[in-house]
Amino acid sequence: MNLRDLTLRARALFTPGSVERDLHDELSFHIECETMKLIDQGLSPEDARARARGKFGSTTVAADECRDERGTAFIDNTIGDLRYALRTFRRAPLATLTIVVTVAIGLGLVAVLFTALNVLLFRTDSVPDITEIYAVEQPQQANGGPSQFTRQYFEALRSDTNVFTEVYAAVNELDLRVDGRMMAVNLVSASFFRVVRVNPIMGRALSAADDDRAGGNPVLVLSAKGWQRQFKRDPNVIGRTVLVAGAPYEIVGVMPEGFRGLGVSAPDFWAPLARLVDFVPEVRGRDRVGIEIVGRLKPGLSMESARAQLAAWDSNQSATTDRTMSIALVPRRGTVPQPLEAIAVSAPLFVAFGLILLIGCANVANLLLARGVARQREIGIRLSIGASRRRIVRQLLTESVLLALAAAGGGYLVSRLALEGAVYWATQTMPVDLGDVSFSVPAADWRVALFLVLAAIAATAFFALLPALHATRIEPARSLRGALFKDARPGRARNILIGVQVFASALLLTCSAIFLRSAIASSQFNPGFRTADTLSIDMINDNKRHAMLQALGSDPTVMALAGARPPLLARPPRALGDVGLGKIALSYKHVSAGYFDVLGIPIVRGRAFTTAEGDEHPVAVVSESVARTFWPSGDGVGKTLRIEPDLAAGRGGAFLTINPKAGAGDAPLTPRTVTVIGVAKDVAGFRITDVKEAGVFLPTTVEAPQTFLVARIRGNADLARQTLLERLTRIDPNMGKIITLRTVARLETFMLTMAFWLSVILGGLALLLTVSGLFSVLSYLVEQRTREIGVRIALGASSRKVTQLILAQTTRPVLFGLLAGAGLAASLATLLLATEAGAMISEIVHVTDPVAYLSSLLVIVVACLLAAWIPSSRAARVDPMTTLRQE
Amino acid sequence: MAPGTPDLLPGTLDLLILRTLQKDSLHGWAISERIQHVSEDVLQVNQGSLYPALHRLEHQNWIEAEWKVSELGRRAKYYRLTTAGRKQLTIEAREWDRMQHAVGRVMKLA
Repeated sequence: MNLRDLTLRARALFTPGSVERDLHDELSFHIECETMKLIDQGLSPEDARARARGKFGSTTVAADECRDERGTAFIDNTIGDLRYALRTFRRAPLATLTIVVTVAIGLGLVAVLFTALNVLLFRTDSVPDITEIYAVEQPQQANGGPSQFTRQYFEALRSDTNVFTEVYAAVNELDLRVDGRMMAVNLVSASFFRVVRVNPIMGRALSAADDDRAGGNPVLVLSAKGWQRQFKRDPNVIGRTVLVAGAPYEIVGVMPEGFRGLGVSAPDFWAPLARLVDFVPEVRGRDRVGIEIVGRLKPGLSMESARAQLAAWDSNQSATTDRTMSIALVPRRGTVPQPLEAIAVSAPLFVAFGLILLIGCANVANLLLARGVARQREIGIRLSIGASRRRIVRQLLTESVLLALAAAGGGYLVSRLALEGAVYWATQTMPVDLGDVSFSVPAADWRVALFLVLAAIAATAFFALLPALHATRIEPARSLRGALFKDARPGRARNILIGVQVFASALLLTCSAIFLRSAIASSQFNPGFRTADTLSIDMINDNKRHAMLQALGSDPTVMALAGARPPLLARPPRALGDVGLGKIALSYKHVSAGYFDVLGIPIVRGRAFTTAEGDEHPVAVVSESVARTFWPSGDGVGKTLRIEPDLAAGRGGAFLTINPKAGAGDAPLTPRTVTVIGVAKDVAGFRITDVKEAGVFLPTTVEAPQTFLVARIRGNADLARQTLLERLTRIDPNMGKIITLRTVARLETFMLTMAFWLSVILGGLALLLTVSGLFSVLSYLVEQRTREIGVRIALGASSRKVTQLILAQTTRPVLFGLLAGAGLAASLATLLLATEAGAMISEIVHVTDPVAYLSSLLVIVVACLLAAWIPSSRAARVDPMTTLRQE
Repeated sequence: MAPGTPDLLPGTLDLLILRTLQKDSLHGWAISERIQHVSEDVLQVNQGSLYPALHRLEHQNWIEAEWKVSELGRRAKYYRLTTAGRKQLTIEAREWDRMQHAVGRVMKLA
């Protein structure tokens, strides 16, 4: 095809009139010339014209042949196909609508998921050449925690080594109050912006002077997120001063949208690392704050040789610092997840959502199988009057693509509605005191559009085109006579489709039943301590502790106050206990007098701590189970116990860490021998969060550094939380969080309820589609077999027998689907239980709950019976006389 | 086709058109007139096949068309040989000569 053809085709496509006019002009000009010639030869104008026309022959045929030669016929055919397809849809509007709506719902749900994951999986980093960026890390820290480099170490590495073009140090994700609002800040050395090579859209980045080690400047650079959150994208924000943790800071720059640094999400702003002392008063005078070191490798330098150079340099440093571990370089691929993780995260969700699409498509295929019989006649006629098979396939393809595009459009609408609804719902029901969480509806971009169109075409092509293609493989003569193809087994295909639908519904509904039962159980779960009127109060600034304690003590809503270190909402550290029978691992916690009282944990034997007992007192309270372990026969009170830190203990995972930083800087336990003064009742703790009560309680006071607080309050907990928060932020602008324990207790139920609603919506949709599919298939079957049923009734079959006959049609596929669905759910549950994470989940989600399985299966059976009841009762009412007379 | 007009061998119409367009650019009717005239009325081009042939040749890029005002004062489509068309004409003319020679020999000697 050459350029001229292309322009001609384009013209034929967009201005079909002009091409046709040219062709017409050319041919009529010829006839005119011929006429003139004949007139010159002496004929009358009328005769001449007639002769000229006669000689030329049919201009229409000539024009047609010209079009064929030029390839513009392609356009004509396509337009014809489109017209024909639209006519077909108009003739069967209900079937068309059913196909589009069914596929659109399924597609919409899958698109919801795709849109959400799209934001996470396919985002790009605005950091150029991100593969050059590596973090310097120390593997296997003794306590299993992250590496703890110092600023000194960073400065030395920066000046002594020559592997990075630029390297920065950072302390990430500090929660600070900015003008009273909790915001996330990353403290970075000025070189950060040179490492990432991204420039601010307004103002400037941090300069070396801002990060001067002698103090630096109180300035900050906003991320696009922080700019939006706090300043509503005010263009005049540069130069404004905000109070960060009580100190005035000037805003000097704003970073572009989409720049997240090297984290999964952007902080609200970046501030100079040199200002660290402002935010964490305890570090004043100390230089051992854990910072991360990240650099951009020199071009051409391999990771291995860079690591070797760094390790060599590091071992020279060992003399001056106390590190013995070797150095590792870990690539910072930025915020784009690795493909494997992405698949692991998204696969189960895609399967669940995809099942709906599958069921919908199965319905469509069923519908088309039934309709295919009708269309065979039409296709037979078209084949017998000379249409080529290719031409008919193209026609069917055009239909499929049109349906697909309509379904994609519908799917887009469904996905937007579902996303808006879900976000609205989540925002409405999310407990407020968990933090300043904001959900936003992820935007749909070209990838979502592409996904929708491709998935729609795949779905319709697979489920609509295949039955249609099958329909062209017929003998025209036979189909004209009304003899439809005998060899194909549409009944079998239908049964398989019904089986698949029931299978998917069973799987999804079983899941929702499990979540529902677990949510109910969870809402009734007793963590073992008072949650209704208890607050957990973070104490971050030890130099404000005294003033805050006074404020709390004088507050009328606070009835009692106690301390805990690490805080109540953190996992207690591990230790080894020994009563002379070998060391046994246990967890411990420092608590103040009144702790058991505030939380309502009963002391079953002995007594709790008194206010006189502080950190140095060699006494302990143990839990009932620890007492049972150490002193199976006696009550334990008055016995002694040797307790020492467990250095080998790693940190276990948790679903949700409410306060990840709490307890991180805890001083190690000094080995000691303690006397047991009391035994406390075992406490279940919260399950979904990493909150378990300790086995051994050691005494402390509320005044002791790093001790967080729990308070019993009077009246409405949420209200009290709000007033206390206001009061305490006045004392310490960088006040930590206050959380009501009721919220934490509800969190588990909240998550299970979310899972329940998600699966119940999916399962409900699946069941609805299955039922409607079953209904239409059975109705169709009854219609098709009316004559046979009439004969049976005429021969004396009872209406019960007829009903049985119709029901028997579906019993096998439904049963198969039920067994397969429940079986798969059960085997997945067994697999899940075998994993470590699964065992943890199964404490909360009862994956093998027989009641859940039975009830969901029962729901499906009842629904299927209802769907079958109308067609089969219609079959039972068939009047043999009427049907036989129709013949 | 008018009686007394011999059937053209397949492909010869293309050759005739190309040859006719060797010197000037002509519109469709003029091409058919020219062929008829030069062949002393022996060859009469079937009008119905002339235009598809012209469009085919244009599609193959051997001739190109241009809309001009004709001697009758009306818009007419004038065809002209392209460089590729000239080459094609040489090839086809040589082919034709070979064929004519071969047929002539068979007629004489067989």
